[in-house]
Amino acid sequence: MITFEGVTKRYPDGTVAVDDLDLTVPSGHTTVLVGSSGSGKTTALRMINRMVEPTAGRVAIDGDDVRGQDPPVLRRSIGYVIQQAGLFPHRTVADNIATVPRLLGWSRRRARSRAGELLELVGLEPEHADRYPHQLSGGQQQRVGVARALAADPPILLMDEPFSAVDPVVRAGLQDELLRLQDELRKTVVFVTHDIDEAVKIGDSIAVLRPGGRLAQVDRPERLLADPADDFVEAFVGYDRGVRRLSFFPARDLPLRSDVIVTAGDTAADARDVARRAKEPWLLVVDSRRRPLGWVAAEALAAAADERDVADLDLVGYGHVFTVSTDSLRAALDAAVLSPAGRAVGVADDGTALGAVAQTELGAAIWAVGGDEHTGAVSRHG
Amino acid sequence: MADPAHEVWAAAAPLWGWAVESARWGWQNLDDPVGPLLAEHVLLSYASVLIGLVLAVPLGVLSVRYRVVYPPVLSGVNALYAIPSLALFFLLLPYTAFSPWTAIIPLALYTLAILVPNVVDGLNQVPDHVRQAAAAMGFSPLRRLLQVELPVAVPVIIAGLRVAAVATISMVSVASLVGLGGLGGVILTYGFARNFAAPVVVGITLSVALAFATDGLLVLAQRALTPWARDRGPARRGGRGLAVRRRATAAARAGEKGAL
Ligand SMILES: Nc1ncnc2c1ncn2[C@@H]1O[C@H](COP(=O)(O)OP(=O)(O)OP(=O)(O)O)[C@@H](O)[C@H]1O
Ligand SMILES: [Mg+2]
Repeated sequence: MITFEGVTKRYPDGTVAVDDLDLTVPSGHTTVLVGSSGSGKTTALRMINRMVEPTAGRVAIDGDDVRGQDPPVLRRSIGYVIQQAGLFPHRTVADNIATVPRLLGWSRRRARSRAGELLELVGLEPEHADRYPHQLSGGQQQRVGVARALAADPPILLMDEPFSAVDPVVRAGLQDELLRLQDELRKTVVFVTHDIDEAVKIGDSIAVLRPGGRLAQVDRPERLLADPADDFVEAFVGYDRGVRRLSFFPARDLPLRSDVIVTAGDTAADARDVARRAKEPWLLVVDSRRRPLGWVAAEALAAAADERDVADLDLVGYGHVFTVSTDSLRAALDAAVLSPAGRAVGVADDGTALGAVAQTELGAAIWAVGGDEHTGAVSRHG
Repeated sequence: MADPAHEVWAAAAPLWGWAVESARWGWQNLDDPVGPLLAEHVLLSYASVLIGLVLAVPLGVLSVRYRVVYPPVLSGVNALYAIPSLALFFLLLPYTAFSPWTAIIPLALYTLAILVPNVVDGLNQVPDHVRQAAAAMGFSPLRRLLQVELPVAVPVIIAGLRVAAVATISMVSVASLVGLGGLGGVILTYGFARNFAAPVVVGITLSVALAFATDGLLVLAQRALTPWARDRGPARRGGRGLAVRRRATAAARAGEKGAL
């Protein structure tokens, strides 16, 4: 557990970067610091490993003031990842990762084999071990940065905008990877970002700092989105927070309609019966293995010859699907909005279609969670 | 109508004869004095550059760590560089007599004007995030200097060493005026003093060849020491640009000095 008790940092030029901060970072959780540029996030982070010393107050790890420890010794027990990765250009990937173990006096052999384990852990190939940092992509460098920070298995990991220099696709991959690692390792992570979406995705709790280094609110992500403490936090989390918040509610309770599914090989005449019974303007056509092929409109069926195979009719693309067991209401809503038929296709883990949900049913489900802020929220590690 | 090729050959013929004569003289006098004086040239120039480097690294480190130190240090090494070499040699004669130190001390001091700014540039171009990361990993300041900052500065430092080495090799000859000039002795004592061209050609040729060979050795050393700096992309451009600029100014100054 890391605690900030009345911590203030005033730089020699008079800038107050952090102002009377009280914050508890629970062990084994990810706490995200967000705030606009210059709100003191980096300063707060660096007071944990003594790269910056507080002007007033105290920072403690498990109750012990960090000032009780020699900085180099303290820092070897705290992993640190920064935006440009900060890799040593003159050392190979393996030697970069082995940095802290070597500083701790591990033998070359042991440090080297540990580096190999970490390469694998962060999803890099063993042949990357002997490359130099400039021979890696930005995303790979960032992975090496994470591996280096974890090398000596420190209980605490500090991350300062670690993923903000890579493109959105790579960033999303790195975030997923971090969540997976954290599920496995349960470090005490303090993560700094500008990006509220990243904070919501990564954080067990989020601390919002306002300019001048004052704490505006600390809360679980879903609480922050549901109930911003004031106008500043509300503006910061964005006016689409209502939609964002849907990512905390599971899609599995949505009423899926499986009676709108027809299979390739069925005739247009059969399909007309199905449509009539379901009273639906759109039917979902699936292949023999129940994978979605596309939507067919009831009007198109009416015009088709009785014996035509439904799969041969003009099908409308189904956009993207949502996975019923793991996705959130936000993903389902997104799939419905993007679908030309106005309906989202729900699939099982193996990609087979389970059914479809129309925007009206989605609307009802969203309305149901909108009125209630506590129950039903998905726990991050649940 | 004369054949132009023939004319060129006719003009070159005496030069060719000259070259053959010089080579013969050099070969016949290899044991004495050419070989020993070449060895002396190597010793004087290499020792000077090495001592210069040993002094320049701590001076450069201090200049980077304590910014206020750099302006006076830079003025100091530049002022030393401005003293004519001959004056320094004679100034030292009463103390060091005709020992090699009379040549080595001034030459080593001259290299500082090239090497100190290079060490400073080299250390300054270590990216800030690398420095920060090293501190955050738990390097003590001394270890960080030795294991991160200086190694990363090596390409720029070697670029400076190349200029300093070539300049020093050309300057050693001046010390022959106090009897310590290596190949300068071949030129002066055996050539000009006896009004004989062959030793002058031999002395100049060997001196230039030594400069080339030394530069080549340093390039090889650089490749061996910094495998990581080979074919680097954008990250290196800043450092190399700096080094190249430094080399250009240093070479210009070395030129002035050689002309003294
Ligand atoms: N070494 C320093 N000396 C003086 N002022 C500083 C120093 N470091 C930071 N500051 C100031 O302290 C304030 C907080 O800086 P800090 O880097 O902690 O902000 P941040 O929230 O991390 O910003 P960003 O999101 O842009 O990284 C800023 O106003 C900054 O200019
Ligand atoms: Mg910052």
